[in-house]
Amino acid sequence: MNIDFSTALPYIPVLIKAAGFTILLTLTSQFFGTVLGFFLALGRMSRFGGLRWAVWLYVWVFRGTPMLLHLFFIYYAAPLFGLTLDAIPAAIIAMSLSSCAYNCEIIRSGLQAVHHGQVEAARAVGMTYPRIVRRIVLPQAVRIIIPPYMSNFITHTKNSSLASVVTVPEIMLTAQTIANSTYRVIEILTLAGVLYLFLTSCLTWLQLWMEKRTAYEQRTLTLRRRRQLGLEPA
Amino acid sequence: MMSPMIDVRNLHKTFGSVQALDGVSLTVGTGEVVCVIGPSGSGKSTLLRCINFLEEPTSGIVSVGGHRVGYVGDGTHARRMRGRELAAMRAEIGMVFQLFYLWPHITALENVMLGLTEVRGLTARAAADQARALMHKVGLGDKMTAFPEHLSGGQRQRVAIARALAMEPKVMLFDEPTSALDPELVGEVLQVMEQVAQEGMTMMVATHEMGFARRVADRVVFMDRGRIVESGTPDELFDRPREERTRRFLEKILS
Repeated sequence: MNIDFSTALPYIPVLIKAAGFTILLTLTSQFFGTVLGFFLALGRMSRFGGLRWAVWLYVWVFRGTPMLLHLFFIYYAAPLFGLTLDAIPAAIIAMSLSSCAYNCEIIRSGLQAVHHGQVEAARAVGMTYPRIVRRIVLPQAVRIIIPPYMSNFITHTKNSSLASVVTVPEIMLTAQTIANSTYRVIEILTLAGVLYLFLTSCLTWLQLWMEKRTAYEQRTLTLRRRRQLGLEPA
Repeated sequence: MMSPMIDVRNLHKTFGSVQALDGVSLTVGTGEVVCVIGPSGSGKSTLLRCINFLEEPTSGIVSVGGHRVGYVGDGTHARRMRGRELAAMRAEIGMVFQLFYLWPHITALENVMLGLTEVRGLTARAAADQARALMHKVGLGDKMTAFPEHLSGGQRQRVAIARALAMEPKVMLFDEPTSALDPELVGEVLQVMEQVAQEGMTMMVATHEMGFARRVADRVVFMDRGRIVESGTPDELFDRPREERTRRFLEKILS
């Protein structure tokens, strides 16, 4: 068998368009998964036992079952409950539900890693809980959260290929369709692999950038901030 | 007799089966400096932590500045404070911790400012003006932009004192402020505390620094097993202790 990219190369624009769907699925579901995951994490740390238990149950179910199954359920089982969804919204919902179970645990571990004394000191000066979370806990938790969060983000990006089973024309489904009609399986899959690698490389780079941004030991005050603090003549 | 700033009545606190405070009553007058001494686990920290409601008393009443701590209203009509009310109450009570608990993600100056911007609602500029003055006052005018991890223990604790003073509290609670410090750094922190005392601040200090207690305290309280064993002026307590338990403790710690 010989490798010949001449048939495959003209399909690059089609695959790039498919990558657009991969990006759409991944970004939207990761966004909802992060926001929901944050509130689930707070719920998991709540002083109300019922809420803690409910969140635990949610994470137990959605982290303990494959995302493939969530996709099938939302897309094929939802109509049984009178709810018919198009492939893309169904995939986004399923992927968000899955993502937030993981993000809940990642964010919770970060929030809990912030030393309790930090919170006590903030309570002692009279800060309210929302302010403590925003000003004291989150800025410290974010840097702890970034590496596992970004790892999960990368996994999530690759797992978006599972949405092919509910007919979302993302990279994998598109690649398979092209391969079936051109018989250039190796070449097309190679191109698909390069696209995934490009997407995940962007995330790796984003992670490095975020880690640098949040490394507060290396932070120096900007000139604007120094002026605001009266450390520099205005 | 000065009017009482802190009034503790029959305070009990249990953690599970451990009785941390077993009926403590005590008043601290306005501008008075009270040092609380006693062995580890005697309840000194718990007593201070009940005064700003970081620990909720199991029973008993604590008042600061004439207001009951942690509750709104009196007697049977009292209800527990909500988050916002608790926060406003704590803003009036400064606290300094054994392990400093500076916020590591912001500079020393920003540590001192944060309560002013977040709790008092000052602009960053106005808060920074006050915070800079306090940083000079605690002798750290050259460390404004240092991050906590680049400061020595003594410097960290002085920032923590400035952070508490920034709120202009009615009282200051010091929970073993020098116990985590290298011996050569203890003096600089005690010196700042002495200065705060001289300015008329009402202070309660849990400490093992007997020299400081003798020099600065108006009254010394000796605690053991969750009770106040005896209290008196430094001269009374250190030179003529009435209780055998106090005598044994002082012998141990002063030898």
